[in-house]
Amino acid sequence: MNSKFGIINIVQFVLFVALQILLMDNLVIFGAGFCFIYVAFLLFLPIHINRVFLLFLGFAVGFSVDVFYDTMGIHAAASVLLAFLRPLVLNLLTPRDGYDTGDSVNIHVMGVRWFLVYTLLLLLAHHTAVFFLETVSFAEAGYTLVKVAVSTLFTGVVMVILQLLFFPSKKATRA
Amino acid sequence: MRNLFAFIYRFRAFLVFVLLEALCVYLIVRYNTYQGAAFFNSANKYVGRVLEYQSSVSDYFRLASINNTLARENAVLREEVMRHKATAQIDSTGQLDTAIYASTDTTHTLPYILHAGRVINNSVRRTNNYLTLSVGSADGVQPGMGVMSSKGVVGRVKTVSEHYATVTSLLHSQMLLSAKIKRDNTFGTIKWTGGNYRMAQLEYIPLHVKPVKGDTVMTSGFNTVFPDGVMVGTISSVARESDKSFYTIRVKLSVDFAQLSYVYVVENTHQDERTELEQNAGILTNEQ
Repeated sequence: MNSKFGIINIVQFVLFVALQILLMDNLVIFGAGFCFIYVAFLLFLPIHINRVFLLFLGFAVGFSVDVFYDTMGIHAAASVLLAFLRPLVLNLLTPRDGYDTGDSVNIHVMGVRWFLVYTLLLLLAHHTAVFFLETVSFAEAGYTLVKVAVSTLFTGVVMVILQLLFFPSKKATRA
Repeated sequence: MRNLFAFIYRFRAFLVFVLLEALCVYLIVRYNTYQGAAFFNSANKYVGRVLEYQSSVSDYFRLASINNTLARENAVLREEVMRHKATAQIDSTGQLDTAIYASTDTTHTLPYILHAGRVINNSVRRTNNYLTLSVGSADGVQPGMGVMSSKGVVGRVKTVSEHYATVTSLLHSQMLLSAKIKRDNTFGTIKWTGGNYRMAQLEYIPLHVKPVKGDTVMTSGFNTVFPDGVMVGTISSVARESDKSFYTIRVKLSVDFAQLSYVYVVENTHQDERTELEQNAGILTNEQ
């Protein structure tokens, strides 16, 4: 697995943002379940990426979505938050003998449990930021929390599907 | 000094994080308060082109319903033209001496001009919804103008570029619209409370009037954005809460925002004059 930021990541950036704008914008479940598929770009970046660079990437991807959504700054703020938390969550989830150089965010390599915890933690932070920045007030906090929960689950399922469909399973799983 | 640099270098990630978040908050605040020509939004030339391409694909699937609405609107307009023809034949005041009778100059009676535009981007399920139209300053659209469809009020232009315009939808948490109940001309404020995109709330209707389910709600004409009597919706429920001095009225909006395809931007040719007059008199309210 490549451990550096490369062409594949740039392709993912364009692809996920395009999917977000053209397709996922129209896909809302029960008026509460939103799918922010562009977050996959940040989640699937190499593990040992420079932290400062990661923050700028987070801003870039959030800002591109904001331009199309007319929500200036909201997705950028949430994505920067996610980019900031990502190294911390990765630290928290370090396997007993540390990350190998060949490790990447891949459900086959790292295992289902590792992937689910990693994804859901970061998605929860991101979605909470998006929905609370959107309403600004805590007036309808109940409805907003429902939106956060349903959307986190929805986006999480989409992330798992993306992993199972498009990420190779050449390596044996870790114990 | 070296220690300071070492400190900054050690916490560089956190500092960059704080800086970027501050920038985001600045963007959020600025975009929510600032009306005019912003560059980074869906009225941007390149963004508009992508959205136009997207809607040119998705519009194919709605051609039948778009045609239906246009045909129905044509029928209504035709009926109105016939009615006007009939009154023009009976009415002969236009031929009388203008010194005694007011001349019937249409620019004096109707200061509104409509610009038709296609909706190329639309959302109904977010807390703050916007539309993007494929008309811009080249077609005479300016920020602050009202937007309506054949069914009723849609929103208000937020920013324009040369060929595109973004519109703050009526389905926006900060959008207020001056409206009145048609039957007795009581006026209040229409506000969308989120959730269902077919329902809004009519606020500030005092308790001494008797609004009834099914009453028509239309624009009041007290602002310079919309003409008097543009349809907003019908009252679907009236509730009286003991701790409030106003009714809680739910209004079913006449416009189905999920089905919007063509809209009209309303240009009021007397807007500047009236705004200036009201500003000079010190009575201009912030209500839209």
